[in-house]
Order: sequence, then C-alpha cells, then structure tokens
Amino acid sequence: MASLKNIKLKIQSYKKTGTVTHAMEAVSAVKMRKSQERALGGRSYAAAALSILERLSGTVEIARHSLLQERPGKTCFLMITSDKGLAGSLNSGIIRRVEREISQRGLDKSNVVILAIGRRGGDFFANRGFDVREKYENLSDGISEADIRKVTEKILELHSAKEIGTCHVVYQNFISTFEQQPSVRQLIPITKNMIAEMIAGIRPVRGKYAPQKDESVHAPAFYTIEPDADSVLAVLLPRLLNIAVFHALLESKASEHSARMVAMKSATDKAKEMAHLYTRQFNKVRQAAITREVSEITSGIEAMK
Amino acid sequence: MADQNTFHLIIASVGETFFDGAASSATFPTSNGEITVLPHHEAFVTTLQAGKILVHAPSHEAKVFEVTSGVLEISANRATVLL
Repeated sequence: MASLKNIKLKIQSYKKTGTVTHAMEAVSAVKMRKSQERALGGRSYAAAALSILERLSGTVEIARHSLLQERPGKTCFLMITSDKGLAGSLNSGIIRRVEREISQRGLDKSNVVILAIGRRGGDFFANRGFDVREKYENLSDGISEADIRKVTEKILELHSAKEIGTCHVVYQNFISTFEQQPSVRQLIPITKNMIAEMIAGIRPVRGKYAPQKDESVHAPAFYTIEPDADSVLAVLLPRLLNIAVFHALLESKASEHSARMVAMKSATDKAKEMAHLYTRQFNKVRQAAITREVSEITSGIEAMK
Repeated sequence: MADQNTFHLIIASVGETFFDGAASSATFPTSNGEITVLPHHEAFVTTLQAGKILVHAPSHEAKVFEVTSGVLEISANRATVLL
C-alpha cells in the first residue's frame, strides 16, 4: 500500500487542481455572460443592415454585384476556434465539421483556402498541409470592429483577386450553456436565403433577449437611390459580411466560455471526488499503521513479562 | 416614439449603437454633398463620406458624430445610418 506521505501529496494536488479549475469556472461564467450581452448589443445594427438589404432587394436589381453571384474558384473556410483548450469538445467539433464539409463537397488541399481565427483550428489544418492563408490569434472578448475588418478585408481581397469563389464560416452556434452546435453559414455569395437565416439567427427565439414584438418595416415601393445602386451596394455588402463574421465570432465566444465553464465544473467535481477518495484511503492507511504500532507495543510488553 | 415632428434615427456600427431615438432633424455628409433630413422624408438610400453628422433632437442638445463612411437609409419615417 502507498505510503502515508504519498497519499497526502496526492490529496493536496487534487485539492489544488480543484481550486484552479473552480477559479477558471468562475472566470468563464463571467465572460460567458459578457459575451451574451455583447451579442445583444450588436443586434440593432445587424437587424438594421439586414432589413435595408432586404428592402433594397425588393426594389433594385441587386444580383449584378459580384459578391452576390456564384463564381468558380477555390472554397474558403473561415473557421473560428479558441486559442486555448480546456473547453471540452468545442474545438474538435469545429475541426470535424470543416473536415466533413471538405469531404462532402469533394474538395481537397488544392482547392481549399482556410482562414483561421483561434490557434487550435489553424494549427490542425496547417499540420496537415492545408493552405492556411491567415491566422488570427488572441482576439479579445471585447471584439473590436478593427478585428473584424481585418478578417473581412482579407476575404474580400481573396474574392476580388478571383482566387476564391465561395466562402463559408464555421463556428460554434450558442444554443444554451450546456449545448453548442458546430454550424456552417455561407458568406459569399450573399443570397437572400442567407440574409433571412441571419435575421432569424440573430434574434433568439426565447429568453430575455427575444424580440418583444414584430419590428419589421414594410418595404417602400420605391427608393430614391443616390448616387446609384452599385455604389450603395459596394458600401453595404462588405458591411453585411462584417455583421456575419461579427455574429459568428460572438456566438463562438459565448460557446467557448460556456463550454469551458461546463468542462471546468466537471473537472472541479472530479477533483473533489478524487480528493475524497484519497482521504478515505489515507485514513485507512493511517489506521492500519496505528493498529500495527499498538500491536507491536503490546506484543513487546507481552514478551517482557 | 416618433410623433408628427420627429423621426426615428438609428446610428450604429458593428459593435455599438451610438444613437437610437427620436430626432427632429439631422444633417449628413453624403457622397453628393450635405443633406438635411426632416421628418417624413421620402424613401431614400445613399452612401456617406467622411464628415460630421449633426443631430437635433427635441429632448436634448444637438449631437455631433464623426463618420468616415457608411450607408444612410430612410423609409417610413425611420432613418438608419450604418457606419
């Protein structure tokens, strides 16, 4: 049986691990709430931009713009993972989803371009010889507009260079604290379907952030457009991409923190359980040692008689 | 919300909403020159260039927002600016 000292050390180390994971759990809980609040803050912008495009699409021939057209070229995946691990199956879920998308579309290394937000996903595909064009790491939780611009400008650059034809974002959709779902959303070409999906996705169905009433405004029959539709679209469409990326990032951040919180919660529970188990064993060994000592003493006394 | 003499104005960027409320008039630096929007403007879409947005609201003093680019959309007595 293990010595008393060894068991004591083990108990201590489990307790320390438990303290650390408990602290991480608390930190993740706070960050999770903040991410969810930020997701709400971005809503009015997203809803406004989407409804403008929705209304415009009714009155103007918008299909001419290159961002709205199917075009041949490589497929770009913007994958959003976390920089750090310890978040359960969060990152592996994204990686598996990207792999599945690639094989389902019959693509291979030669016609896939990967943009990776977060270290985990980028490293995985870089190690397997994929074309990881750009890695964005250490994005803070307070996602700034500049961060998003960097990403969307890269996508637009690749698109206008005719290198990529389509672009998809793969991210963890936040359903609840205990449930996240790897999701794929098309970024380019921008379609009406995608816009409708985004509007539906941005407004949660239930919970405190659900819309209070129907906020939709009916499209006017006719718009005065200045200077012309093309230049308005040229400004509006990149903003729409910004929103899509921003939204996916927020969802991922909220998912990351919830997944980590849950993972850390179960780690804390396990650490407690193990510490309890080893305390039992410690007591048993200690009792055995005491019993042995007592019996040695009594047998010594017996021998002296 | 908006009564006869005001219109609903939203000025927002991706992460932040700068203004969301009733305004009595607002001046925008559009790509075709400066325009001032009053309540019940016709349905209108245009792009903004670098300059200042000046918002007059009944409830408080005039507000100024610096912009570099954006889209202005007006319909049904609602003006939306996306920066």
